[in-house]
Amino acid sequence: MNIIYATLGLIGLYIYVSLASLLWEGLDRKLVARMQRRVGPPLLQPFYDFLKLVSKESIVPRHAGKMFELAPVCALAVSIALLAYTPFGFAPLFSTRGDVIVFIYLLTLIAFIRVLGAINSGSPYAQIGAQREMIILVSREVPMMLGLFAILWRLNKLGVSRPFSLATFYEHNIWEIGTPLTFMGAVILLFVFLAWLASEIEVGYFNIPEAEEEIAEGPMAEYSGRHLALFKLSNALKEFISASLVVAIFFPWGISGPLGLTGAGALIANLLFHTLKVFAVLFVSMSIFRAITGRLRITQAVQVFWLRMLPAAIIGALLIAIDLMEVIA
Amino acid sequence: MNSRIEYWVKIPIGPIHPALEEPEKFIITLDGERIINVDVKLGYNLRGLEWIAMRRNYIQLMYLAERICGICSFSHNHTYTRAVEEMAGIEVPERAEYIRVIVGELERIHSHLLNLGVVAHAIGYDTVLHLSWLARERVMDILEAIGGNRVNYAMNTIGGVRRDIEEKHKRAILDMIEHYRNEIMPKIEEIFLYDPTVEARLRDAGVIPKRIAVEYSAQGPTARGSGVKKDVRYNEKLGVYPDLGVEPVTPKEFTGVIKGDVFDRMVVRVGELWQSMELIERAFDQMPEGKIKAFAKDNLILLKLKKADGEGIGRYEAPRGEVIHYVRANPGKDIPSKWKAREPTFPNLFAVARALVGEQVADIPVAIASIDPCLSCTDRVAVVDAKTGKRRILTERDLLRASIAKTKELNPEVSARPEVVGVGCPRGDLP
Repeated sequence: MNIIYATLGLIGLYIYVSLASLLWEGLDRKLVARMQRRVGPPLLQPFYDFLKLVSKESIVPRHAGKMFELAPVCALAVSIALLAYTPFGFAPLFSTRGDVIVFIYLLTLIAFIRVLGAINSGSPYAQIGAQREMIILVSREVPMMLGLFAILWRLNKLGVSRPFSLATFYEHNIWEIGTPLTFMGAVILLFVFLAWLASEIEVGYFNIPEAEEEIAEGPMAEYSGRHLALFKLSNALKEFISASLVVAIFFPWGISGPLGLTGAGALIANLLFHTLKVFAVLFVSMSIFRAITGRLRITQAVQVFWLRMLPAAIIGALLIAIDLMEVIA
Repeated sequence: MNSRIEYWVKIPIGPIHPALEEPEKFIITLDGERIINVDVKLGYNLRGLEWIAMRRNYIQLMYLAERICGICSFSHNHTYTRAVEEMAGIEVPERAEYIRVIVGELERIHSHLLNLGVVAHAIGYDTVLHLSWLARERVMDILEAIGGNRVNYAMNTIGGVRRDIEEKHKRAILDMIEHYRNEIMPKIEEIFLYDPTVEARLRDAGVIPKRIAVEYSAQGPTARGSGVKKDVRYNEKLGVYPDLGVEPVTPKEFTGVIKGDVFDRMVVRVGELWQSMELIERAFDQMPEGKIKAFAKDNLILLKLKKADGEGIGRYEAPRGEVIHYVRANPGKDIPSKWKAREPTFPNLFAVARALVGEQVADIPVAIASIDPCLSCTDRVAVVDAKTGKRRILTERDLLRASIAKTKELNPEVSARPEVVGVGCPRGDLP
């Protein structure tokens, strides 16, 4: 019985997050357009784009391999699977001990599937885009994982029901520890996570794999029609999910408590409030970031992660760890 | 070395590519992200202008020259009229020369603002693109008020200009300069001289050393960005420009160093925006009253030109570099026997293609955008023998020999013996 409810919940979440994430795309385009003194597209433009792409013929290049057509389906499937492990203002649907590993694994898998599809498309632009995607993938995950595990490890010391689960954040959060060192560490890690988020959704400095002026949308160069629509949807889902992680770690507070809601009403209120927080985080990390920066070279972007973000993550993690030692001593 | 070649990838950039505004083709050999070789293919935008010109008289040719290119429409028109005036020995009234300076510098402002936006777009910095093009609207409005058109303002005629610049135009232009000085230029300087993203992407990208710039005869901001003090307005004492105190702008005055990279070319453009505004103000101060054209009616021009004999060369510093027009008269007819335009983009393109070797893929769009290529202007030479129908491509060696012969004919005292650089146009074979 429980599994049926969970599955129904997942389907509901899938529909809700698809709509919300496409709505965010429209909002983002409108907001950036206003920052650039343009009028911008209608708010629902991503929906129109999606519907139109779905109705269009999909052209498969002559030299494309099997994975070319499989990759969009796989990417969307992985995105939907990922929804079950994502905190949306409440604990993930299928949350267990250590589900953070599954979360990171699935999130990385989407990028990996994109790379597979790109390599199989037989286009030289897609090849370059795939190389870039791999390079930036291995650079960005290291500081993010270090920060995530440091925070989860610290929260486990406070006593949680399921260690190393993303549900942890709804039992304790990093701010309630309250000591200056933890606070400083958390602020540094928040910065690292915002940079990671920008690179995960490939905007601003990190719009490198899909650089349209250089390699014509990179991995997406040969995709069209339905296949492109599936990729667009899975990308939108990935944006929402990645931002959800940042929100869950740093801003996990729900709205149901203050409002005095319980049961299903509480879940819905928390989900809507979570969506607002996701939009706020994406506004900083996506809209503003891509309005005020250009694209870096791939070497510079890798340097940003290995020479700036990784030391920052190490310092943040050390601050949190040192603080704990002092408490023990 | 042979075993490594297998890892090299050849990718085409163009003829249709998001980085390019106009059709051209770069075949790029890559080793990962590093560029091994760049091969330029041109001729996708050949519209047969010189063939069309054989069927137009001198007046109609002005309109054709204006439509060579959408951005430097005034420059081509201006250069063509200078060539015809030199050919026929027509004196241009001084006021007309000043009006030409004003419109030419307005055009330089709008062209440079356009290019600043294009380069920002090439590094994905779209906000700068939109805002600099928004700033450009002001000067476009001024040009529309003067010439009646945003792009092809048709100001020039042989022996002067068509329209006078009146008091209301002067007020509007000075207002615009005030607006640019106080509102736009500080922001543009902040972006293109101090912004970290722009500096990270433009510094040390597409470096053209001074030696390459001289050997490939780079023109305009591309040459000046590499430290070559080359500006036709200054070197050739063009028109009334010497009275206005024009100087070639090099990045040294702004940043203190000359590296010849994309950043320096942009610095030159920012400096030329300042310079153009100063030139317009000085031109207004010094502009005399008087006639604006040598001939009252256009048919008088044709009458005069029918009797003309000889040839004329017009030179002008367009926003992208030096434009040269060559006109040879056809005595007794109002159609020139030969009209030939030479574009700054052609040498610049090969200079930048040479500079791209050893750089990264990410530098291709920005390096190409930084020379502000105008491919609709650029075409190429193929000689067809009318009797046998055989096509022969003139190589660099042939062209150099012909150029030396022509220079000797014009001025026998020239003793320099230029040598073949050795690269030339890589498109050697026709199908």
